[in-house]
Amino acid sequence: MEYSLDELIIAVMARYLTGEVLVGAVTAFGTLAGIVARHVYAPDLGILSSPESGLDANGFPTLTLAEFFAARDQGIPLTMEEVFDAIFTDHFRIWIHPAQIDRQGSVNISAIGAWERPKVALVGSRGIPEDTSHLSQLLYYILDHSPRTVVEHVDFQSGPGNTDRRATELGPIGSPSVLITNLGVFDFLGPEGTLRVISLHPEVSLETVRMASGFMPAVKEPLATTSAPTAAEIAVIRRYDPLKVRKLEWSQEPDGGRALLAAYHAERTQFLGDLAATPEDRPT
Amino acid sequence: MNKLLTLDQVAASIPDGATVAIGGSALSRKPMAMVRALVRAGVTNLRIVVDIGGPDVDLLIGAGAVREVLYAFVGFEVLGLAPHFRRARQTGTVNFQEWTEYTVMAGLDAAIKRVPFLPTRSGLASSILDVNPAFRRIHDPFGGEDVVAVPRLEPDFALIHVNFADIAGNGVILGDSHVDALCAKAAHTTFMSCDALVDSETLHGYGRNVQILRVYTDGVVEVPWGAHPTSLAPAYRADVPALLEYLQASGNLEHWRAYQTRWVAVDHIGYLNLHGGQQMLQQRLAVLKP
Repeated sequence: MEYSLDELIIAVMARYLTGEVLVGAVTAFGTLAGIVARHVYAPDLGILSSPESGLDANGFPTLTLAEFFAARDQGIPLTMEEVFDAIFTDHFRIWIHPAQIDRQGSVNISAIGAWERPKVALVGSRGIPEDTSHLSQLLYYILDHSPRTVVEHVDFQSGPGNTDRRATELGPIGSPSVLITNLGVFDFLGPEGTLRVISLHPEVSLETVRMASGFMPAVKEPLATTSAPTAAEIAVIRRYDPLKVRKLEWSQEPDGGRALLAAYHAERTQFLGDLAATPEDRPT
Repeated sequence: MNKLLTLDQVAASIPDGATVAIGGSALSRKPMAMVRALVRAGVTNLRIVVDIGGPDVDLLIGAGAVREVLYAFVGFEVLGLAPHFRRARQTGTVNFQEWTEYTVMAGLDAAIKRVPFLPTRSGLASSILDVNPAFRRIHDPFGGEDVVAVPRLEPDFALIHVNFADIAGNGVILGDSHVDALCAKAAHTTFMSCDALVDSETLHGYGRNVQILRVYTDGVVEVPWGAHPTSLAPAYRADVPALLEYLQASGNLEHWRAYQTRWVAVDHIGYLNLHGGQQMLQQRLAVLKP
């Protein structure tokens, strides 16, 4: 079956989600991975279709936290206390998309350069320090594997990987489990808990990974090729993201905004036709 | 008790130098009408406390109203980085303290519980502890592992926007509640705007979605589309074209001044009229049910 790279990546992401946990839905890839997993492998997953829609809603994935498709199926609304209690008790999983990840699996979404006077100020560490100190499985993905994103040392540890400091201050819970990029799949079972290639996507060579990384990761022997998405996985992705909102995640600002507008427009015409804009939000 | 205020009355109540906690999250349910009113009132030297900041924090920085920001995140989600936040971080014109999503909650909760700090494992072994002087690593007095002590955050004011409220100050939040209830309880004075006032009987029909209790509320403002250009679930989406215009204008000083004159220096009725009025906003942004 024909498939695209985004479908391959989402399918692989889905296979790492198991059990009865809440699955955070901050990005389109992360949301779709949860939906695929729930439909194909892990029926007990509780997908937060977006933070606005709560738990077990039938929302459509969008790329912004603030967006939501329809008011009619909000699911179970959650408070932030509930989300963080789920994190602290290890009843939560999330696919995190860091700006940088390094050999030891430390991740950065805070600043490029020195934090005090950054070359590029990013967004701030958000909830990554909570995830990397409480979850027994940490899942990372990067869609532009390059020497700027896969680096020897991150400029700022929003979340610690397998560092000496983790060993003394924190212990193993919250350490990195897997990294999926546009080139391959990696774990952190290289020497001293460092990044290791476990499979390459079709038509990707080890040399490509070497050139695209700020260091050479360890390699698992024998090196595998990433399994293609199954027909079932692809069907779920296409069914739940018919507008290909997932494609927006590949694009860089400011095109993301324009692409999002196009998706809105398509959404309105495809799903809603001439429906009048009269939200009926108040109880009767 | 009738706690109704106007936007101008809220803005006039907040003095220069105040510590202000802002609810909502990035592009979701930000009290934007109150934020614009603050800018119009010319308030300066604010210390902003925010969990997930977006256009609220960025506008206040861009308007020169801020001396310090405590934040876990400031950004425009899929639309990109926050331009004034980014510039101020890179040039050092504003002080910044990076917290994390839960530690902001814990700091507010410590203030609510009248304790000096609350402990957490969050932040251990991360660079946050190196750059944020507010936190301490402390020994567990019961002999367990070290934890991070998160000091209490005591905002003078909280600004939140909710779907519906009654004049007594009970507030209904229908989407994600973010940290609004914590802000309202921790702050000395809480101002709550709402998209629409409802009578108390109607409000009771919302059950647990009444997330803001009147004992914490000092002022209520009815502001239709009060979160615009951010979203108000489940009623309306974030206004992406308006946000893109903001981002574009922030790229250069001349454009930014013109933007402020056009979109910030006007009262709320004028602001809605500039957007074509409520009916136009409804047609463009209302979330429809298939």
